[in-house]
Amino acid sequence: MKIGSVLAGVALLGTLSACGTTNTPAATGGGGGKVGIDHPRADSDFWNSYIKYVPQMAGELKVETLNPTNSQNDVAKLVNNVQTLVGQGARAIVMAPQDTGAIASTLQQLESKQIPVVSVDTRPDTGKVYMVVRADNRAYGTKACEFLGEKLGGKGKVVQLMGALQSVNGRDRAEAFRECMKSKFPGIEVFEEPTEWDGGKAASMLQTRLEAHPDIKGIYMHAGGVHLAPTLQVLKAKSLLVAPEDPKHVFVVSNDGIPQEFDAIRKGEIDATVSQPADLYAKYALFYAKAAMEGKTFQPGPTDHGSTIIQLPNGLEDQLPAPLVTKENVDDKNLWGNTVG
Amino acid sequence: MTSVALRPGVKLARFRDLTLVPVIVLLLVVGAFANPIFLTAGNLTNVLQQQSALALVVLAEALILISGKFDLSLESIVGMAPAVAVMLVVPAASNGFGTELPAALAIPLVLLVGAAVGAFNGFLIVRFQLSAFIVTLAMLIVVHGLHLGWSEGKSLFKVPESILFLGSTTFVGLPVSVWFVIILFALAIVVLRYFRLGRALYAIGGNIDAARAAGIRVDRVLWGVFILGGTLAALAGLLETGRLGGISANQGVGMIFMVFAAAVIGGVSMDGGKGTIFGALTGVLVIGLVENILSLVGVAPEWRQLIYGMIILVSLIISRVVGGKAQD
Repeated sequence: MKIGSVLAGVALLGTLSACGTTNTPAATGGGGGKVGIDHPRADSDFWNSYIKYVPQMAGELKVETLNPTNSQNDVAKLVNNVQTLVGQGARAIVMAPQDTGAIASTLQQLESKQIPVVSVDTRPDTGKVYMVVRADNRAYGTKACEFLGEKLGGKGKVVQLMGALQSVNGRDRAEAFRECMKSKFPGIEVFEEPTEWDGGKAASMLQTRLEAHPDIKGIYMHAGGVHLAPTLQVLKAKSLLVAPEDPKHVFVVSNDGIPQEFDAIRKGEIDATVSQPADLYAKYALFYAKAAMEGKTFQPGPTDHGSTIIQLPNGLEDQLPAPLVTKENVDDKNLWGNTVG
Repeated sequence: MTSVALRPGVKLARFRDLTLVPVIVLLLVVGAFANPIFLTAGNLTNVLQQQSALALVVLAEALILISGKFDLSLESIVGMAPAVAVMLVVPAASNGFGTELPAALAIPLVLLVGAAVGAFNGFLIVRFQLSAFIVTLAMLIVVHGLHLGWSEGKSLFKVPESILFLGSTTFVGLPVSVWFVIILFALAIVVLRYFRLGRALYAIGGNIDAARAAGIRVDRVLWGVFILGGTLAALAGLLETGRLGGISANQGVGMIFMVFAAAVIGGVSMDGGKGTIFGALTGVLVIGLVENILSLVGVAPEWRQLIYGMIILVSLIISRVVGGKAQD
């Protein structure tokens, strides 16, 4: 966490020295210009994959970018980074504000300077955005609920290892899962554990819950990158890490789609994951940033890449598809988790 | 009153150890009413296992605090030491450095890394005479930065079996990690109460000049305490890794707050020279029991932090009332 400021500082120094001559930020016209990118954090497997995809996709889409900054999950740093990027002449901003409320005033400032914003993964509460690039996180929760509900035959007990409650994605997943369980599988009892994306907390909470309710048969993890290893370790210690055919098997659905989850699915340790498309996040963030600089506009409705654009009060949102991965399709070459090391 | 703490075996000093015992009894009663599972051996064993890493870092911090110093960097060692050791051992395909040292070296490497960080802290604080607070605050950032940089922020999922062993194996009914805690705390309690070296820590923390005048090799002892602290934090990281089955890029982050909470409600003074290892252990138990009860009761997630904080405050107040002395 704390190293973030250092990393961001180093990145800033690099960019500052690299771009001594820049045009004024408010300059308009033409299709050219550089995109300023801020990454939300550097300590999660999902975001590290995203960060790696960004320069690759920028090359493919022929988008010029400034050196990306990193705000380390801290909205105050994000605000500073955006100012710096604008000062360096960014003509569009790609960001992923993890605190979706506190970014509003920055968005207003950017709007007054006519700098379009693409928000990746999160949907700012207020403030104008050109496009939100995000998968439908409510659908993650619903897919996980439907999968577990069917596997458990509509009865029994499941645990939901939740992310942080201040994150819109954690909330969306949790609420959708809870509501779907209530309406479609009223016979299933749901225990909710606020792990705050912390593996240690997740392990303790799951262990305590399993001690009290040894008949728990399903687990929904909000983030495979954080929750996978601790969950497997707890199940192993309880001798519950057995093949899906065994009656003792606990069904586990994850979220993220990182390679380690795919390995666990192949081994039969977990049963499914929702693949959150890190590659598409990077690709369409840059795609829309470029389109914004070229002055293009988009309308709500289906897109040419299998997703749907919906209208928000403060902009548009392109809801990218997030497939459910099970043993049947885990080797699909199109899944990004199969293309990274 | 300092003379009380300096003389072993005096009743008042022992009493100070026990100020949290009523809180623990209260928590046990509340827990028993809250959930029938709470008082089972299985659940209480889980509590001990879950807190074993915290307990070792609290032990390290208590030793350093009693000596009148400060170490914030311990939390970063908990993540960095095992991560670096693992990366030296596993192949590059599993996010390793590619050195592929023999797996047997993994555990010694973990401890060595922790000791090295402690030695560096000690060098800057003892030899270089820098402020312990600022040095270790900077080291907290530096050490975690090394972890993030070297691991590129990735979690380490493939960990050698030897590293997982300590944190995930059971011996005579209790997890091995709990045995570690029991043995190390017992050792520290005995050394600090009855041995010359242990008493030296109190003397240095109470009045460093007097300790020096009394012929204690202050610099050498302090440096040793920092090295021991780093090593214990690394061991804590080892146990945590075994419990979690992998090392995430933010293992240990934020832990230092709980460490200080446990040490201080356990009666260890932030000003040095006062407090006992047993007291620190009761602080850990309080925190572990509170976490467990909150989980079992199923308090609404958004209110859990508030209740958690309130219980720590109330524990402080109870221990103040029972202890009858001003806290510092």
